[in-house]
Amino acid sequence: VVGTFRESVRGVFQGGVRIAVKIIIFLLVGVLALVALMVVASLLACAAATLYALLPFPKVPFRYNVRNLQVRWKTTVVTAVAFTLVVALLVGMLAFVKGMYRLTQSSGQPGNIIVLSDGATDEAFSSLPFGVDVLRLPKNVQDMVQKDGDKFWAVREVYVVVNQEMPLAGGGLKRRFVQMRGVDDVELAARIHGIELQEGGTWFSGKTYEVVLGDGVARTFGADMGKDSVGPGDTIRLGPKEWCVAGVMKASGSTFGSEVWARDIHVQESFGRKTQQGNSYSSFVVRVKDPEAAAKAAEFIQNERGQEPFAAMTETEYYSKLSQTNQQFLVAALIVAIVMAVGGVLGVMNTMFAAISQRAKDIGVMRLLGYTRWQILSSFLLESLIIALIGGILGCALGSVTHGWSATSIVSSGAGGGGKSVALKLVVDAQVLLAGMGLTVIMGAVGGLAPSLSAMRLRPLESLR
Amino acid sequence: MSFLIQNLILNPLNLFGVIFGVVPIIIGLIVAASHPRLFMLVVKNLGRNRLRTALTFLAIVFLVFMVIIILTVVTTLDSFTTEKARNLKLIVTERWQLPSQMPLTHADYLDPSNPKFLLKGFGITPNDFMTWSFYGGTLEPGKVTLENLIFFFVMDPKHIRTMMDDLETFDPVLVKKMQETRQGCLVGRERLEAMNKRVGERFKVFSINYKEIDLEFEIVGVFPEGRYNKSAIMNDSYFNEELDKYARQRGKKHPLDMKRLNLIWLRVKDRPTFEKVAGAVESASQFADLPVKCETASSGVATFIEPFKDLLWAMKMVMVPAILISMALVVANAISISVRERQKEMAVLKVLGYRPTQILGLVLGESLLVGALAGLLASAFTYYAFNSMGGIPFPMLFFQSFPIPGGAFLWGMGMGVGTALVGSLLPAWSARSVKVSEVFSKVA
Repeated sequence: VVGTFRESVRGVFQGGVRIAVKIIIFLLVGVLALVALMVVASLLACAAATLYALLPFPKVPFRYNVRNLQVRWKTTVVTAVAFTLVVALLVGMLAFVKGMYRLTQSSGQPGNIIVLSDGATDEAFSSLPFGVDVLRLPKNVQDMVQKDGDKFWAVREVYVVVNQEMPLAGGGLKRRFVQMRGVDDVELAARIHGIELQEGGTWFSGKTYEVVLGDGVARTFGADMGKDSVGPGDTIRLGPKEWCVAGVMKASGSTFGSEVWARDIHVQESFGRKTQQGNSYSSFVVRVKDPEAAAKAAEFIQNERGQEPFAAMTETEYYSKLSQTNQQFLVAALIVAIVMAVGGVLGVMNTMFAAISQRAKDIGVMRLLGYTRWQILSSFLLESLIIALIGGILGCALGSVTHGWSATSIVSSGAGGGGKSVALKLVVDAQVLLAGMGLTVIMGAVGGLAPSLSAMRLRPLESLR
Repeated sequence: MSFLIQNLILNPLNLFGVIFGVVPIIIGLIVAASHPRLFMLVVKNLGRNRLRTALTFLAIVFLVFMVIIILTVVTTLDSFTTEKARNLKLIVTERWQLPSQMPLTHADYLDPSNPKFLLKGFGITPNDFMTWSFYGGTLEPGKVTLENLIFFFVMDPKHIRTMMDDLETFDPVLVKKMQETRQGCLVGRERLEAMNKRVGERFKVFSINYKEIDLEFEIVGVFPEGRYNKSAIMNDSYFNEELDKYARQRGKKHPLDMKRLNLIWLRVKDRPTFEKVAGAVESASQFADLPVKCETASSGVATFIEPFKDLLWAMKMVMVPAILISMALVVANAISISVRERQKEMAVLKVLGYRPTQILGLVLGESLLVGALAGLLASAFTYYAFNSMGGIPFPMLFFQSFPIPGGAFLWGMGMGVGTALVGSLLPAWSARSVKVSEVFSKVA
């Protein structure tokens, strides 16, 4: 009885909280709409003020604002540093997301079609019918596939996520997931996927247990051995076997950089893909002659619902679907940046309101000297923008340090997708810096508008009293 | 006592909250009670420039809100990867690859109620065992969207209360109903809403991972609000019977027939027992054909989280400090402006007989009061707003959402008070050191 009563009370309380939260969310949406309006108004006012400052109209001398910032340098520095932190964080977070996007965008070749088992959205969960090849695809698609003499540009691949065990120095084991791809014709697979080898490496012969490593995973294994990267001649343990490294792929900035490639039969026998019925493959990648016809060819394969239906899509589409995690991180990064920006905006508002209250007499004198309300507004708005820009530029510079840093993450398609763990490089490009400076301007404009409006509304005589 | 040790001393974040939040607040309350006039002066001073107070307050609220969200994600993941000392849950999976796919017979050797049970003498009872298979599909054939996609934990319903995390108090009536309804399933609230279904309704699932095994279900109940909002459970007996039926009807086994078991769960009393059990399982000849590995649930989760280690490090070591620093800067800025504006007032207070320590306390009191209230409000809002939705909606690996822990109140207060303290120390010291003669000579 006590339990039921407690459950009922909890239920009523949770129901009440849920309603309260819905009301708060409703109010927040209203507030957000107002904030959006304010942002637009602030940006317009800032744009007008900047334009006005650049044109040869009478205005409050720019030197006046610079001198004031110099005189109140402590406040200026503190506010600018807050901006620097916010913008640097945004740039760092966007660099990470950009690195992930670049990875998924670089992985797909425009003319490639990836064929999976019917219903599968990820090669990790795909199991193709035994003996899959080009001749089992629809007739019109067969004619579209690129050929070298009689040889189709098509490769069968078995993809497994291997659980790698690494003994720890103090005893025990550490585990890591490693993506392994077994291919039936490695050189053709490399051509189809646009992969090249680094100097000194060779494609495996297939006679012994050999692997070719992506540049990212080679660095990861290298760190285990206390060196920058493993290379040809080194040996690694994956699953129940030791594998000899035949070569390392050139950095292509794609997800293949995080994979280990081996001969298909070796992967199949090591990881339970060899059955009495035949060897199982995860995907079948074909290159069509005309990259623009790839989507059409994939549609033909997908729509052919005969004895052996397949799922098919262009490789670029497949990898762009893996950007679900990227979108998630992008949204998270933007939310963090916006919330931090609100803190920055409130900080600059404090600074500007204080500046205005300290300089009320200045404003009164300027008004008596003939400066208009609009000129006062634009002067203070520009001052707030200067603080923001100092902080923003420093923030972008600080955030740019992350360019080229290595990080690990997972890319996945979300719904039912398996995901791939990847080694990526952070990318700070013009777009990321533009986003950083954009946030800077928005923060400066929004934070400066309300104080500048209050400065504009000061009456000359009252402010001189 | 053990609760206090567990939640305060062993949890550095909660301890931080107590040291920087609760202790200063208690000291502040004692000072306020013993010097009510000084406290009233603090309150009045805050009311003198309401705009500045409000802006500083709001800035702290927003930034504390953000830090609580980040810390919740990080600490939740940490808690899943931290080894427990007692009642360890073990996962037995296929040794070399992911997803783990084992034959159903593997479970026989580890099921305490099965005569083939291998682990006699380790204190493992039938309540300490559970198996999982994963069955997923769509409500319409070939149409994969978030709305019509559903994944089931395939398991014996009798283990829901005994082995599933956070379902220890799950309604036993629903468990019984699941056991009695062969096609019964339990579905989380959010998944149910996304599918636009209600309890009692029936639906058919066209499988994605078990080709040609399309199953019909009847919804018998909903999970309690929280981590299972997007999950579903179905009967393992129904699943296994359908796979067996496939073999009988087609004259050949389903391609995944011998790979239908994904995970085996066991619970042992402590770490030494785990070591022994793991050794016995991994070396058992019964698993020689398809080797298995045995690991604690936390170490299993840690392997999945491994690729995010850089990101989590950056969240913990870069983002949180950066936000805290900008929060301290906002406070420092506001307080130093306020102190500069009130130099004459400080000098007058000194003339009236206020000691430098009292002036220091006055300025510190103002910022601490704002920091404490803002931290408390931010943590209360974050806690109730997100937990009413089942947690922070940030699907990541097998975590659908991250509920805000109760300790967030301590973190919020700790951050609010701590950053207010750090931010206002220098301005308060400069207020304390105001020289009366200098201030009045300037006025003169």
